[in-house]
Amino acid sequence: MHPRVFVTGVGILSAIGNGTDETLNAFKNLKTGIGKLSLFQSAHENIPVAEVRFSNPELAELAGAREDSMPFSRNTLLALVASKQAVHASGWTSVREKHTGIIFATTVGGMDLNEQYYKSLLENAEHKQVIGLLDSADSTEKVAAYLGIRHHVTTISTACSSSANAVMLGARLIRNNHLQRVLVGGADSLTRFTLNGFSALEILSPSGCRPFDRNRNGLTIGEGAAALVLESEECADPGRIICEVSGYANVNEAYHATASTADGFGAILAMNRALESASLKASDISYINAHGTGTEINDLSEGIAIDKVFGSQVPPVSSTKAFTGHTLGAAGAVEAVFSGMAIRDQIVLPGMNFTDPMPELSFLPRLKIESRRIMHVMSNSFGFGGSNTTLIFSKA
Amino acid sequence: MKAAIIASSVISPQQTYNSDGFPPELIETIADHLVCVEPDYRNLLNPIQLRRMPRILKMGLACSQTCINRADGISPDAIIVGTGLGCLDNLEKFLLEVLISNEHVTSVLPFINSTHNAVAAHVAMLLKNHNYNITYCHRCFSFESALQDALLQMEEKKAKNILVGGIDECTNDFMKLHGYLGYWKDPQSNLKLLSGKSSGTIAGEGSAFFMLSGEAGEGENRVLLDGVHTFFTPQKADTAEILEEIDWLLQKSGSRLDEIDGVMLGVNGDYRFTELYDDLQKNCFSDNTEFLYYKHLCGEYYTSSAFALWLGCVVLRNRHIPDALRLNGKSGHAINNLLIYNHFRNKEHSLILLRYGQF
Repeated sequence: MHPRVFVTGVGILSAIGNGTDETLNAFKNLKTGIGKLSLFQSAHENIPVAEVRFSNPELAELAGAREDSMPFSRNTLLALVASKQAVHASGWTSVREKHTGIIFATTVGGMDLNEQYYKSLLENAEHKQVIGLLDSADSTEKVAAYLGIRHHVTTISTACSSSANAVMLGARLIRNNHLQRVLVGGADSLTRFTLNGFSALEILSPSGCRPFDRNRNGLTIGEGAAALVLESEECADPGRIICEVSGYANVNEAYHATASTADGFGAILAMNRALESASLKASDISYINAHGTGTEINDLSEGIAIDKVFGSQVPPVSSTKAFTGHTLGAAGAVEAVFSGMAIRDQIVLPGMNFTDPMPELSFLPRLKIESRRIMHVMSNSFGFGGSNTTLIFSKA
Repeated sequence: MKAAIIASSVISPQQTYNSDGFPPELIETIADHLVCVEPDYRNLLNPIQLRRMPRILKMGLACSQTCINRADGISPDAIIVGTGLGCLDNLEKFLLEVLISNEHVTSVLPFINSTHNAVAAHVAMLLKNHNYNITYCHRCFSFESALQDALLQMEEKKAKNILVGGIDECTNDFMKLHGYLGYWKDPQSNLKLLSGKSSGTIAGEGSAFFMLSGEAGEGENRVLLDGVHTFFTPQKADTAEILEEIDWLLQKSGSRLDEIDGVMLGVNGDYRFTELYDDLQKNCFSDNTEFLYYKHLCGEYYTSSAFALWLGCVVLRNRHIPDALRLNGKSGHAINNLLIYNHFRNKEHSLILLRYGQF
């Protein structure tokens, strides 16, 4: 027997708020988190970004982390805050040895510490205490240590689909009776590294991303973290169930290191395989939380794919990245939390910054919160290296 | 769940690439780190691809191609890679350019290549393979997580043949920074890694790919991957606790401790982390157990257990233990059930169980 997999607690920290209440308010009031860069000085200071509004010391306080002895990367602080929220919300009291796991995800891990200390580290050992904090596993291990998780500890890094894949792996481990409970999530902090990388690729929006708009001009980098507690049906407290993880698929487009095909090949394959794994038809989906980065190629490719998969019955679609920016390795988990909120509150979440429809597409993105019967939510996350993941969440 | 390992390919600091057996001669290096013996890539990759490709991508592509060729060209149903640090060299390159140019970078390729899933993605692109494609980046769990995912895929009956790789590269900056933390020995012979009592180890690197199959033909003895188990920061980290974890793995695969007749240990010459391996060797297994080690050949790196897995396959398949791998003086039997145990500075501990026999 394959047990069902339920989401019993979520935590989220992004440019539009700390926790689901603040996040929901931002959606209701159409208050974007995209604004001016303030975290650090940068040659790209005029490019809008979506920052979490807390400084590192403030995050450390929220996380209950003491910075006196050992510094923390911003990535790890974000991960700790979101994880604490999720665990608290799920009523998590203890770790069942060997049956509780953690799978986290990130793209650049402790890169902010690299940016501060790397040059000096090449000269001398003065800041050697940060060396063990630079990689992608540090945040996972810090959260694992905080919660006392000692088994099934791992980190996924598949560019911008990273944490969607963490959600998928967690669900698979429960469905196949390897775990009863698993904390899944992702975190990425804003860094000069990613800002310069995407800038050099010429895909950063100079004005703030405009998902699915004809005049879209690139993505906006965000930062944040999200975590979800997944539990098997035997283990979950029925009163805390937010939704079910009902379908998932990862495919590879095998086309280009950074771009997707114009005909949406990989996105179609991911969506169809996820539907198949959930034993659902396209017409069962009530809302699509799109990847919708606002780049020329993603929105074209994903939009065409949605049209092909859903035909004449495209359900409401939106890209919440107009609020949070693209939180890179955290995006899949951030949008998994949004999918859970859509089901919990029976709402379609809005997009923003949209005026002109894309002539290639049949649908328009939704632009305000709508109450609606939400049974199944599809969430897309696509990344560099052709990594395409689709998750499906269902009303339990 | 188990899988047959039907093909493998390894690039390591030893001559391991051209044949899939134990090298007739070992390379001795006197250094604090070992460097891979790389093949001539021109037979495998075209010159345009090669020109701007980072070394780790070349190693990953060559190794995965050779593994697939040895598996009679099977197109895998999934590609899963473990890498502790990914394309570290390109990551450092782009990071330094951002820092030194005051954010006026001129080359974007190192940024693209620095994405941790670059190896798995390039393998997929070369094969035009659209299946499941995941990369694990968790220090000494990276390769083990990839193996566990592969076994899970087979359990789900989503895949019959899976390409699994473990890959990491060593860089000068990595050596320098981790040198501050006392990770490395002063230059010394890798073949005398365990002699004397000193702190630190010798760094290494490597690329190893395996074709795992969930349905291997009957009648033929094969190397079977019978289970993988990881645990993080054990509380006491004494032999009792490690044995409990070993029992957990053995129970899940339906075997017993007294059936284990070979143990390959990740002992790395750092006396501060040797005690646990020593105690296990002395007190926990039956008298006939052969104890082997491997890090003198490949060095210490996050995915060194991929090299250990390859060595394990060679030892089981050839029914013979090369003297260079022996930790104890036994000389008798061929191994049938091999346990690979590695831990990294007492944080990430991993167990891989191999068996030789019918699927």
